[in-house]
Amino acid sequence: MSHFTPTIVLLKEGTDSSQGKGHLLSNIDACVEIVNTLKTTLGPRGMDKLITNDRGKSTVTNDGATVMRLLDVVHPAVQTLVDIAMSQDSEVGDGTTSVVVFAGEILEQSRSFIKENVHPQTLIKAFRKACFKCRERIKEIAVKSNVEDEKQWNSMLKKCASTAMNSKLIAGHKDAFSDMVVQAVRSLDPEFPEVDLIGIKKVGGGAMEESFLVNGVAFKKTFSYAGFEQQPKKFTTPKIALLNIELELKNEKENAEIRIKDPKEYQKIVEAEWELIYEKLEKIVESGANIVLSRLPIGDLATQYFADRDIFCAGRVEESDMKRLSVITGKQIQSTTNGFTSEMVGECELMEEKQIGSERYNIFTGFEKQGSSTIILRGGAEQFLAESERSLHDAIMVVHRAMLNSNVVAGGGAIEMELSRYLHEYAKTIYGKEQMLISAFAKALEIIPRQISQNAGFDSVDIMNKLRKGHFEKPKENIWMGVDIENEGVCNTMKSFVWEPSLMKLNMISAATDAACLVLSVDETVKSPSLQDNNKISMEGRK
Amino acid sequence: MLRFDSSGKPFIIIRDQDQKERLTGSEARKANILAAMTVANLMKTSIGPLGMDKILVDQDGEVTATNDGATILKNMQVENPIAKLLVELSQGQDDEIGDGTTSVVVLAGALLEESLSLLEKGIHPSKISEGYEKACDIAVKHLLKICDKIEFDKENCGSLVKAAKTSLGSKIVNQYTEKIAKISVEAVLAVADLERKDVRFDLIKLEGKTGGTLGDTELIDGIIIPKNFSHPQMPKQIKNAKIAILTCPFEPPKPKTGHKLDIDSVKKYKELLEIEQNYFKEMTDLVKKSGATLVLCQWGFDDEANHLLLQKKLPAVRWVSGTDIELIAIATGARIVPRFSELTEKKLGKAGMVIEKSIGTTDEKMIVIEKCSNTKTVTILVKGGNKMVVEEGKRSIHDALCVTRNLIKDNRIVYGGGAAEISCSVAVNKASKENTGVEQYSIRAFSQALLSVPIALASNSGLNSLEAVSEIQLKQMEKESSFLGIDCLSKGTNNMKEQYVFDTLRGKIQEFLLATQMAKMILKIDDIIRPTGQY
Repeated sequence: MSHFTPTIVLLKEGTDSSQGKGHLLSNIDACVEIVNTLKTTLGPRGMDKLITNDRGKSTVTNDGATVMRLLDVVHPAVQTLVDIAMSQDSEVGDGTTSVVVFAGEILEQSRSFIKENVHPQTLIKAFRKACFKCRERIKEIAVKSNVEDEKQWNSMLKKCASTAMNSKLIAGHKDAFSDMVVQAVRSLDPEFPEVDLIGIKKVGGGAMEESFLVNGVAFKKTFSYAGFEQQPKKFTTPKIALLNIELELKNEKENAEIRIKDPKEYQKIVEAEWELIYEKLEKIVESGANIVLSRLPIGDLATQYFADRDIFCAGRVEESDMKRLSVITGKQIQSTTNGFTSEMVGECELMEEKQIGSERYNIFTGFEKQGSSTIILRGGAEQFLAESERSLHDAIMVVHRAMLNSNVVAGGGAIEMELSRYLHEYAKTIYGKEQMLISAFAKALEIIPRQISQNAGFDSVDIMNKLRKGHFEKPKENIWMGVDIENEGVCNTMKSFVWEPSLMKLNMISAATDAACLVLSVDETVKSPSLQDNNKISMEGRK
Repeated sequence: MLRFDSSGKPFIIIRDQDQKERLTGSEARKANILAAMTVANLMKTSIGPLGMDKILVDQDGEVTATNDGATILKNMQVENPIAKLLVELSQGQDDEIGDGTTSVVVLAGALLEESLSLLEKGIHPSKISEGYEKACDIAVKHLLKICDKIEFDKENCGSLVKAAKTSLGSKIVNQYTEKIAKISVEAVLAVADLERKDVRFDLIKLEGKTGGTLGDTELIDGIIIPKNFSHPQMPKQIKNAKIAILTCPFEPPKPKTGHKLDIDSVKKYKELLEIEQNYFKEMTDLVKKSGATLVLCQWGFDDEANHLLLQKKLPAVRWVSGTDIELIAIATGARIVPRFSELTEKKLGKAGMVIEKSIGTTDEKMIVIEKCSNTKTVTILVKGGNKMVVEEGKRSIHDALCVTRNLIKDNRIVYGGGAAEISCSVAVNKASKENTGVEQYSIRAFSQALLSVPIALASNSGLNSLEAVSEIQLKQMEKESSFLGIDCLSKGTNNMKEQYVFDTLRGKIQEFLLATQMAKMILKIDDIIRPTGQY
């Protein structure tokens, strides 16, 4: 043999590496594949997914981020799409499906350019430019609502919340829920609104209509010891002590051992232990508190001690609930009873134990300042409640964002069509390849209205034609023309109150562009064999 | 779920892709609807007074015979996610209302069954959902229109007993409905707060014992604890008992901290013994001093203490469970005492009579605490031929208790025997004609689905179901009366008002709302991703 090229083993055995144009196309295919799974959930007529994991736990959901998480994606390129869904979820809370669908469509549009050997970097450059232009345009046309006018401001927030809930299971009751969500968000401290301070509690049984908002804090009855039932269950203007102390007769130090020489000493040790806890209890009672809440368990001894003195107590209260109470009462959670005085005790107007469905809830209302509220969700089944909670969370996030940034744009595909028109127009003013690429980006934007109408079972081609015509002929008047779900046609979605915070769209467009560009810029994946596969190979090798 | 890219290379997108399967679109919808229908069909035969029971054997070989919808579904251990949803649905109805757990599942199944043909017509599932929601709204409004009020007060509770009887009609206890219904109503009224319209169920204790028949079930104005006195020679009956409730054992106190006592001489040993004995003496003295005539203790006694208690003529009961202690404390107005030194007369509870009773011929004994000073706690002692019967008896009584409670909360009722459903069905059908477009179809489908409960009721009663239902429908329309229903027990009249068959309005509304909610949720799913082979 004259030419002998030695094989150079560079990578570990079993490593999968693929590269080049073929690889890029394959990545695009994989992304499009997952987008196809997700895109039927978009829009008010979007459908839900039922996903069962290996352990038999099933989830019914319509939330893009949740679907992406549950699918358990391992494909490295598709992973980027999962990441943007997550980032959209944490950043804005809503629009998680749109962002993935849009990113997928950008990739789909760029496929033909890749096949024709356009360099990926050229594509990326053009897309970034288009993205930049879009963001500018959104900022330019977003409608600023009147923050001063309380009534108008409130109704704008409600519109945003109900748009976010449109596609969800709770859409039928969106009026009641958007009211609740807006009230809940507005109850937060306007300077540092923290969404965590809105509690959502799920109680099985009962109809959706029976859900309600507690202007304060509510939590489920905690595990209790004998004696609890003898405590009063209703207080007006109670004093609330928030503790992080274990009120139980117990050994104070682990591993400690006492050696007693004289049997007479024995009693003293016993007494000492009792004194330790009694001292704590006395201090709490002295502070004047009628309600004692602790993160840590409150034992039977303490329960009976409090019952004897007509004090209500609850141990093992969840940390989030304690935090809410701490914020709303303005008092710190105490970790010791040393120096515990009446100043460290919070107040409210009413505390009551109420039966909700088969659960008992402790409800605290009438706080002097605002800062926290709790939504009690009712519904037939666990999955139903879980999905409602996710939907409410989305709506809360949207309202929260809208409060920080009061600009809105019209949904229902209207803003996307306007951006698409704007980009097409802009593309005509430039020379070179970029013109085509920016047009492709503009075309990708159309996926949102198209998918919305497709999911609703409309003739999407017809609707798209109407939208395009409307936007191109009269760009000024028809700026907010979007899909009309009710009447299978087009309408001014700004007027039909399909409103979305502009921040959500801004984030969606940049996140999707980023993800698409990331996928496009990859030309080689080197995948190390997983440990499991590695073992298999070495086992086979031995045979 | 193997996927290929455009060049034909396979790629793996999600973990264990080859072990997952996926159903989409109408295929997914059909699979879900079929699963739901299977569950609903299973439940159909246990509707109504002549409904049948089911025997369920769990993994441990434990046998349950029941006709309570929620119990059947819970014990079936279904795996299919959609069937699980239905289980939770019936659980939700059980938690909230406690009755109608079977009907709600049957109705949800029927709604889905109807939607199947609508889907085949090409109607978009969300349109169907919208129609259902509208129809449900109409039905609920109609219920509010046709509902009746029943009047009762503490003395005059005949109407409540009748309502409880309806709920017991389908259960194993039906030979003794009269008696058991009375017991249930009395129990609820004993603990009810009629002003606040609130009933606390934890004050009613259900205790079961095998032996005797269900007819021997009795209501005890007080509490039963399945224990006996700690020493056989203690008196078996105590009048005007003063009860001390202790959560500390009759034992020398032990520090919680790890400890070790070194005894290195005889003297020390004797000293220790003396101290120990002193403890017992002190304890019993303290109890005696407080004036108690009965001691209930959450923990055990040392034999030494037991002996001392007997000597001091202090009857005592040990190992009383925490929940019992709490109930007794509430009923007798006692305070639970964690330490002997804190025991005072003020903390004692009072009861008119405490007796140790034995039941049947077996050696089983129990202590009955009657005429408590704060008598807000009652016990229903359920008896029956075997454990299965007792358990089912308990469940039936629970249902009857729920019905009574619901009536106290809200005294509006609708008539049973399918009357309310048929009346709503007629109303919904009428309203469907006012709607144009595809919604008309789904509203009409809803009205059809509403008939599923009366149809099941009639067929379980051995009637020609369709004929019977259509006859009632006709009669209702002719006479415009909403209280005509299926005459399940062949009493010769369709007038449910005369038969005193009714359901609570709250329960019925809840049933409609929950079933609609569930149907909507299942219709909205168009994609199932699950591990292969798992169903």
